[in-house]
Amino acid sequence: MSVPERAALVRTDRVSKVYGTGALSSRVLHAVSFEIRQGELTLLMGPSGSGKTTLISILAGLQRPSGGRVELCGHDLTRMSESDVALVRRRHLGFVFQTYNLFPALTALENVAHVLRMKGASARQAEGAARDTLGRVGLGERVGHRPGELSGGQKQRVAIARALAGKPSLVIGDEVTAALDSGSGVAVMKVLRAHVATDAGVLLVTHDHRLEAFADRVLEIEDGRIVADRRGAYRRADEAQQGAR
Amino acid sequence: MRYIALRSLLFDRGKLLGALSGVAFATVLLLLQIGIYQGFISTASALIDHMGGDLWVMARGTEVTDNGEPLSAGARSVVTTPSCVARARGAILSFAAVRKPGDALDAVQVVGFEPPDAAYPRPTPLVPWELARGLPGDLHPLMRVSVDTTDLKKLHLPDNPVGAELQVNGRAVFVAAVTRGIRSFALTPFLFMELPTARRVLNLADGQVHYWVLDLRDPGCAPAVIREITSRSPDLDVRTAEDFRARTQDFWVKGSGAGTALGFSALLGLVVGTVIVAQTLYALTREHEKELATLKAVGASAFELASFVGWQAAFLAVVGGASGAAIAFATQRSLVRAVLTVVLDAQVVVVAMLAVLVMCAVASLASIHRVLTLEAVEVFK
Repeated sequence: MSVPERAALVRTDRVSKVYGTGALSSRVLHAVSFEIRQGELTLLMGPSGSGKTTLISILAGLQRPSGGRVELCGHDLTRMSESDVALVRRRHLGFVFQTYNLFPALTALENVAHVLRMKGASARQAEGAARDTLGRVGLGERVGHRPGELSGGQKQRVAIARALAGKPSLVIGDEVTAALDSGSGVAVMKVLRAHVATDAGVLLVTHDHRLEAFADRVLEIEDGRIVADRRGAYRRADEAQQGAR
Repeated sequence: MRYIALRSLLFDRGKLLGALSGVAFATVLLLLQIGIYQGFISTASALIDHMGGDLWVMARGTEVTDNGEPLSAGARSVVTTPSCVARARGAILSFAAVRKPGDALDAVQVVGFEPPDAAYPRPTPLVPWELARGLPGDLHPLMRVSVDTTDLKKLHLPDNPVGAELQVNGRAVFVAAVTRGIRSFALTPFLFMELPTARRVLNLADGQVHYWVLDLRDPGCAPAVIREITSRSPDLDVRTAEDFRARTQDFWVKGSGAGTALGFSALLGLVVGTVIVAQTLYALTREHEKELATLKAVGASAFELASFVGWQAAFLAVVGGASGAAIAFATQRSLVRAVLTVVLDAQVVVVAMLAVLVMCAVASLASIHRVLTLEAVEVFK
């Protein structure tokens, strides 16, 4: 039985990116086209300098492509103003980074709640949702701790809670497990996997092939071109399980 | 954003203390320099301010109170002729030599005044205006004078100088009263005495004074009175109290260079404060670039990001400014004890606080620029 087709969260159509001009110009993306759908955890893998970071920056609306078209949650980012793109990001995206990027002066709860406040929630709503999300990532007992009082894995889970608390349509992560031990890495991936189950999407840039176990799909990029688009181990296992039934 | 900004600022105690010290230092310097400047101004024109009157009549060419020339005894009839003049009070202001107990010679400023006229319907300004010992009436007997508490050491007088003798221009005078905090701009001790004593000390003839202070029935008739007196007696100058006050203040404060020196010190304080605050805000911004870029990535507006710096600058201005003001008021007391008038009134405080706010706003510009030009894509690097 095949997995039902779901709505596209990201759609890129012949996206290219050139840095610099004239003889010094450097083309880092070549007519990249792909889609990311709801309920998918997608890995974007490739060697350093292959264009991974540029690609996710463009589809998150943080950079403009030199050519082609990017659609995020139904919005054509290439035709929108910077402020409108910022509104789309605010409404639909969550980010997780290798270095966590948490405010050291704030507690875990405050770090998560602030983003919710920024998105328009009242103080009470934000605190409730932040507490709930931190509980879901296994940090219910650590809400009052500052980042300096948490382990690397715990900090990353706070960062994930911050990304997930606003119920974004798509979470974009950059090497989210690179600084974590394998146990913490697995815990983090389980949290992201659970988020995908809510019909959201997750796109992770990584070098770590062990994460394929959690992926529905793996995109491989080399020299600015998507060279492979294959099913991840999680999807294969899921399909095998459904086939067995 | 306010909460994050302030928590981040309070979290780094070292930087916070450094920045607050910078703002407090600038505030103290600013308040004291402005206060001392105001003190100089009020000291320079203290005699005019307290003797009051609508018009001052003086020898032609007199620029400041301290440089007057004795007027002839006949001047009184000239200055009282205009019908609008309600009253003319004589005043004598002149430097004199004093021989102190122990035989040392020094300079004093003789201030001769007319005692209050009980028959005059309007209140007469009290001269001297701040008595620590004795009553104005104690200066009525001939050769009785007052000295100021701040000049006792200078004049080699005991803590309670009442009854002590001084030789002024070779004539014996006796201390009958003590004033509190009445000092001249040049720090030459004031000796207050009634007109007969002043004339005796300065060898002036009966009826001679340096100034006639005129009270008018209607201040609106001042121009007409000035015209009438100067036309009758071209050797006299007649100035409004405001004009004479301003000339005296300009002569001492601007002419002595004191205003420029104090202004420069205040400016220096502002520059130092600006640099310290700017460094702190910039360092805090750089430290939080990743977090701020993250907020930008999830859609924070330029205004929200700039307010991160803005709230920190505002906090430093308010708390640092208040701390500085408290220190300045405490310092003011010790400066007053050290014979320096520092005027810290509401106007001075408001001006200084506005300057501190502007200082912190200027100091935040580099950080705000940094935040506004922050690329959200930096979060991936």
